[in-house]
Amino acid sequence: MNIAPRYLGRGSWLARRDPRVLLIGLALFVFTVIQVWDLRILAVLGVVAGVYYRSARIPFAAVRLQWTYVIFFISFVVITNTLLTGGELRGFTEDELHVYFHVPLLGTPISAESVTYAIAQFMRFLSMAAVGLPIAYAIAPGDIGPAFARLGVPYKFAYGMELTFRFVPSLSADMQTTIDAQRLRGYDWERRGRGLLGKVTRTIPLLTPVTMNAIVGAEDTIDAMDLRGFGTQRRTWLRQLRFGVTDWAVLAGFVAMLVTVTILSFTGRTDLWVPEVLIDLAS
Amino acid sequence: MPDVPLIEVVDLTFRYRRATEPAIRNVSVTIRAGEVLLIAGPSGCGKSTLLRAINGLVPHAYPGELAGSVHIDGRPTTELRLREISADVGTLLQDPAKQIIGSTVEAELAFGPENVAMAPAAIGERIGEVIAATRISDLAGRETAHLSGGERQLLAMAGAMMLRPRCLVVDEPLANLDPATARHLLGLLRDLADTGHAVVIVEHRVEEALELRPDRVLAMELGRATYLGPPSGFLEIADPGSVKLPFEVVLARARSDRAAAAPAPSAPSRPELGPSRLAFEDVHVSLGERDILRGVNADLGARETVAVLGPNGSGKTTLFRTAMRLVSPTVGRVLVDGSNVATASIAELARSIGYVFQSPSQMLFARTVRDELLFGPTNLGLPMEDPDVVAMDALRRTGLDREELILDRPPLTLSFGQQKRLALAIGLSLQPRTLILDEPSAGQDHRTSEAFMAAVAAIPELESLYFVTHDVDLALTHADRILVLRDGRIVADGPPASVVEDVVLWRTCNLHRTSLMAANQAWAGRAGPRFLDAMTLAAAMVADEASGRGGGGSASAAG
Amino acid sequence: MSTTVMPEDRGAGMWEVTTRVIVYAAIGAALYGVAAVFSVLIPGTANVSVRPAFALVTFFGFAFGPIVGFFTGLVGNMIADQISGWGLLTSWNWSVANGLVGLLAGVFGVTLARAIPNRLVLSAVAAALAIVIGFLFVFTDIWLGTADDLSVAFTANYLPVIASNLIAGVILTPILVAAWDPIRQSMGR
Ligand SMILES: Nc1ncnc2c1ncn2[C@@H]1O[C@H](COP(=O)(O)OP(=O)(O)OP(=O)(O)O)[C@@H](O)[C@H]1O
Ligand SMILES: Nc1ncnc2c1ncn2[C@@H]1O[C@H](COP(=O)(O)OP(=O)(O)OP(=O)(O)O)[C@@H](O)[C@H]1O
Ligand SMILES: [Mg+2]
Ligand SMILES: [Mg+2]
Repeated sequence: MNIAPRYLGRGSWLARRDPRVLLIGLALFVFTVIQVWDLRILAVLGVVAGVYYRSARIPFAAVRLQWTYVIFFISFVVITNTLLTGGELRGFTEDELHVYFHVPLLGTPISAESVTYAIAQFMRFLSMAAVGLPIAYAIAPGDIGPAFARLGVPYKFAYGMELTFRFVPSLSADMQTTIDAQRLRGYDWERRGRGLLGKVTRTIPLLTPVTMNAIVGAEDTIDAMDLRGFGTQRRTWLRQLRFGVTDWAVLAGFVAMLVTVTILSFTGRTDLWVPEVLIDLAS
Repeated sequence: MPDVPLIEVVDLTFRYRRATEPAIRNVSVTIRAGEVLLIAGPSGCGKSTLLRAINGLVPHAYPGELAGSVHIDGRPTTELRLREISADVGTLLQDPAKQIIGSTVEAELAFGPENVAMAPAAIGERIGEVIAATRISDLAGRETAHLSGGERQLLAMAGAMMLRPRCLVVDEPLANLDPATARHLLGLLRDLADTGHAVVIVEHRVEEALELRPDRVLAMELGRATYLGPPSGFLEIADPGSVKLPFEVVLARARSDRAAAAPAPSAPSRPELGPSRLAFEDVHVSLGERDILRGVNADLGARETVAVLGPNGSGKTTLFRTAMRLVSPTVGRVLVDGSNVATASIAELARSIGYVFQSPSQMLFARTVRDELLFGPTNLGLPMEDPDVVAMDALRRTGLDREELILDRPPLTLSFGQQKRLALAIGLSLQPRTLILDEPSAGQDHRTSEAFMAAVAAIPELESLYFVTHDVDLALTHADRILVLRDGRIVADGPPASVVEDVVLWRTCNLHRTSLMAANQAWAGRAGPRFLDAMTLAAAMVADEASGRGGGGSASAAG
Repeated sequence: MSTTVMPEDRGAGMWEVTTRVIVYAAIGAALYGVAAVFSVLIPGTANVSVRPAFALVTFFGFAFGPIVGFFTGLVGNMIADQISGWGLLTSWNWSVANGLVGLLAGVFGVTLARAIPNRLVLSAVAAALAIVIGFLFVFTDIWLGTADDLSVAFTANYLPVIASNLIAGVILTPILVAAWDPIRQSMGR
């Protein structure tokens, strides 16, 4: 189980950006996307997200698992949401709907509108995932701390972020070791204990050792930090972050998108837009 | 001004807040610039506590009751803040993995200076100097996550130097290092002493620590100082049972009291191997992009004791993981009792081969030792009339049953040595006939690890024992067959006496030619394929000399 | 003369940020991130995905204080989303909700300590309250447009998440606390 994020985007165009760009960019993009329901605008944002993602040059093999999960999970959310509620109607009243059919048993109407909503929802999540993923693969280890610090996060917590990313790989390795150790004792977390309760209690032999070892092991880490004067005064960072022209340009791009979309949404032009094709299908 | 002691410990006594007994009592010692002090003693005698008192963690980070005083350059630590002390005292802890903070080599080195708000440019220069001084330029720019244990320890050492401390305290730095890396580290410490630093080092591996040419040795027992003086004197009083001493010393000791003389145990005829228990047929393993094992062929007999040696990362652990189906070979087969493991379930394998992981606590989760021991048998539905009997039985085989109320203690509160034995008991609770131990001696002092191996040897049901270790002497004296692994290939396979012949191999595998090994060689394998431990060998030699036969093994031959 | 000296971070209030707090927070977050993925990887039976690892949020909050709890929940959930590919901020409001749960677990652990003397019961109660209150934050989904109205947010988001997390939190938090307390004793800090 090697799920540790690794610096695979090394050297790529995106990896050469100031790490803050990736963080701010993602934030701006998320707030842009969540305002949009119009498939046409979403398509544009989707393309932007795609290009942005490609620029990190993350080998697909390394993230196949992630994408499978994302696609599966989004579909799950969107479909259940649509089937249960007929999708969000965003201002459409029942009689405006172009209904295809009603879901048996539930009786929710599946309409051109709800399908459009589903597609929109799908694109929203997909594009956000695409812009988010590079953060794990295109930010150099050791840049996380300085990046958050320079974004105004108090230095202790900025360093906390740094440590978190540093602990992830070793802890997932520990988790694997513990899983192996317990399997040798006839413990099989795939078969034993069905149902929710079983599923929960069956993780005790894994969670407990890994957690306790991590906490006990932390003593040395804490000592090592105290002994080098951590947290006694405001600290400097060896890593100097400076926005380059390209960095500014990228940020400007993200800001522009946010502003445009915000204006559009205030003038009510980002709402659900139902393509003719889908409406025709209803008749 | 060498006459002002850099570190002055005066009649120090300290009791940890929740402890009933003081961890150290009335310890006094002064260390001057350019001096090296070696602290030795059995596990739990207070060595680390003394170091913590010097670097200020006691009492600043560890609450407790403190009497007496510690002065750094004339100032009492109780009146200094931790970072004021850390400006003068650099510390190197035992576990390299835990004390590395930064995720890249540069970030790690910069950590200290950053915390005292040094200017980035200055930090950059300082890093350059330290990397040069510690001779780790080959590590520059690497990610700490990808460093080997040894490389991490060297980096931690460099990190401790970044704030230019005048004293350095070092707690068991060699524990996880292969001998080559250990040499490098000791060399650095020596350089520091020669350039006027004060060095305090705690180390179980006394034989290697002596290469540091310490000026004085402080021996401790139960929190008290039992000896403080030159190494020569220490070697006279030290107990070979509790600390590992150079063989010459053990021999000299044996000579001085002839009473100890005893003839060598009659050479056991090369034990019959028995049928094949664990066979590797052209086993290849690749994890990610990396080839870990590259064609291993070996057949381990059902009655053999086999030790596996090899540098860090050579694939020792991975090799035995394939035997338990925790890793599957990309090419080749692994056979247990003649049948391919791929066709067996892990649980079945666990019943014929007990596997004890390097770090015991990684499997301990239950609220009591009892539950911990019954976990395996219950999972596999083994018949148990009285659970307590089953549990006690497993404990008895590992000598843990002597601890009172052991069954109801939380496993994770046991001492490291005890956890190690509990892990062993757990491995035995499924009544396997073969045992695999990964690093049985790591993190324990000489006596505890010897006791551990003795406990294992004493288990009646056990037919065969295979173990992985970095401790050459442990391997040579306990195994009757040695496998040496390098880069995922077996580069040597045979009885100790013949494997140690190959000097080149020994060096290329970062292995250390110990004095005991040399002595055993000189002794010309008169005790059969298996080597003798220091005490037995010394006794045998003395006996020989007594009976006037001389005998190859003289102290000079052991050099 | 016998001086009893307490360390610098003794008597630290539950809001003080010491090295200890930062390291525990980082470990909690990383552990939650890793273990959450692991639990997702378990082939699920119910279509509400339970994260047994969620108990780490309430445990770290209860055992080490609100700040550690908040960081564990907030950052841990982000890491989990990041590792799974969902994206660091895609469900940022859910991360905040997780953080609030951890924070509240820490607060209740202290404020209810007198009312409930038994630490294990206390930890279970603190966890339960924290989950029920903290996850109210997911109603922000309405404003973010990922849930159309109150009833949906309630039935489709709030209820499932507190249901599954109550199971994990109430069962596992006391178990982790029971494992940790004796260790803390023997470590003496
Ligand atoms: N934080 C602590 N709280 C309470 N007791 C402790 C603490 N740390 C150590 N002790 C106890 O103090 C005694 C000395 O411990 P210390 O670690 O100094 O021994 P040591 O000589 O370093 O042992 P080892 O060689 O195994 O490292 C032991 O009995 C130990 O159990
Ligand atoms: N799950 C894994 N994924 C990738 N690489 C791994 C994995 N497990 C081990 N390795 C690598 O395989 C190599 C061999 O590992 P192994 O633990 O077998 O070496 P070893 O001989 O036991 O080393 P040591 O003496 O330090 O224990 C190491 O370089 C290690 O980094
Ligand atoms: Mg120690
Ligand atoms: Mg190994």
